Amino acid sequence: MLDILVILCMAAGLFFFFGTTVGIIRFPDFYTRTHAAGKGDTLSVMLMLAGLALYNLHHLSLATLLVSGKIGIICVVVFIASPTATHAIMDAGYEAKVRSWSRPGAPKDPDDDGQDNSGEKL
Amino acid sequence: MKKTALIIIAVLGILLLRAAEDLPSWGDPQSPASVHLSNYYLEESYEETSVPNIVTAVLADYRSYDTLFETVVIFCAGITVLLILRRTPRRWPKVISPRPNRPGADIILQTAARLLVPMMQLFALYVVAHGHHSPGGGFQGGVILGASLILLALSYDIEMALHRFKEKFVLLFSAGGVLLYAAIGLVCLYLGRNFLAYGAWADLLGISELAAHSHGMLGVEIGVAITVLCIMFSLYIDLASGGDLDEGL
Repeated sequence: MLDILVILCMAAGLFFFFGTTVGIIRFPDFYTRTHAAGKGDTLSVMLMLAGLALYNLHHLSLATLLVSGKIGIICVVVFIASPTATHAIMDAGYEAKVRSWSRPGAPKDPDDDGQDNSGEKL
Repeated sequence: MKKTALIIIAVLGILLLRAAEDLPSWGDPQSPASVHLSNYYLEESYEETSVPNIVTAVLADYRSYDTLFETVVIFCAGITVLLILRRTPRRWPKVISPRPNRPGADIILQTAARLLVPMMQLFALYVVAHGHHSPGGGFQGGVILGASLILLALSYDIEMALHRFKEKFVLLFSAGGVLLYAAIGLVCLYLGRNFLAYGAWADLLGISELAAHSHGMLGVEIGVAITVLCIMFSLYIDLASGGDLDEGL
């Protein structure tokens, strides 16, 4: 029973990790890529850590409970730190006026001053 | 000139490669290093120091003298950056542009930092205190403590972090950590033992020699942690503000 839960958690985590990686490589610009890294990473790391914490509870004792509790604390820290770091990176990009992607041929964004400071080929 | 340098590098490289042939092969159990000294540490260190983590026992007890001067090296590095950057007349304008003033825009960062900094500092104290039993110790814990202060300075600003931990105290404590380390050793010398032979503390504290070794190592680790913390923070504030400590990244 526990094994099925663990496998489900780990498989879901791996799936989201794969999605994150594809997103980081394939999305068109800085903002969308960072978005993929921030969301997918957090969720998949938490799923995989939850799987590990559950797996560790096979022999229920104070020691394994302690280790699972520590993994839980890591989950909390990742949940706070990872999205905030992504937010900070994206905010810095916005502050440096990195141009955002738009569909070719779409009407131009009036806020866009035409300067791309990102040094990045879109 | 370039050709000479190339020839020197080539000759030195060949010499080093020839010398490397005589080194024992990787992980060889019969090599001199693993025959004489390692066995002694593996078998005796727990009986002699009552510290289960052999790395800590070797680092902070058997080779304590070496670790003392490693800490001094870190202290010197911090002081050198300080000497170069602080109060030096500036010939060129600052390269780092001042950070834009955006009231209210950093609220997410600041809230997260307020949540994370206490957790980081608690974890750092755990790493320092638990270095006897698990990986960790003074250097690692000090770095985490310093990183928590740097996070504070990054998400608010340098002035706020310096208001919490004045530069005067940063520098006093960075020297104080090394001095605490040396003082622990000097007390042993005063009591007629070798420098940093922690067994001398047994009578002072009223504990057994084994416990004195363990506590001596803890004291030494705390000294290292204080120095590393202060030097990390000092490096950050000087580099980020170009030595002016007014504003920075």
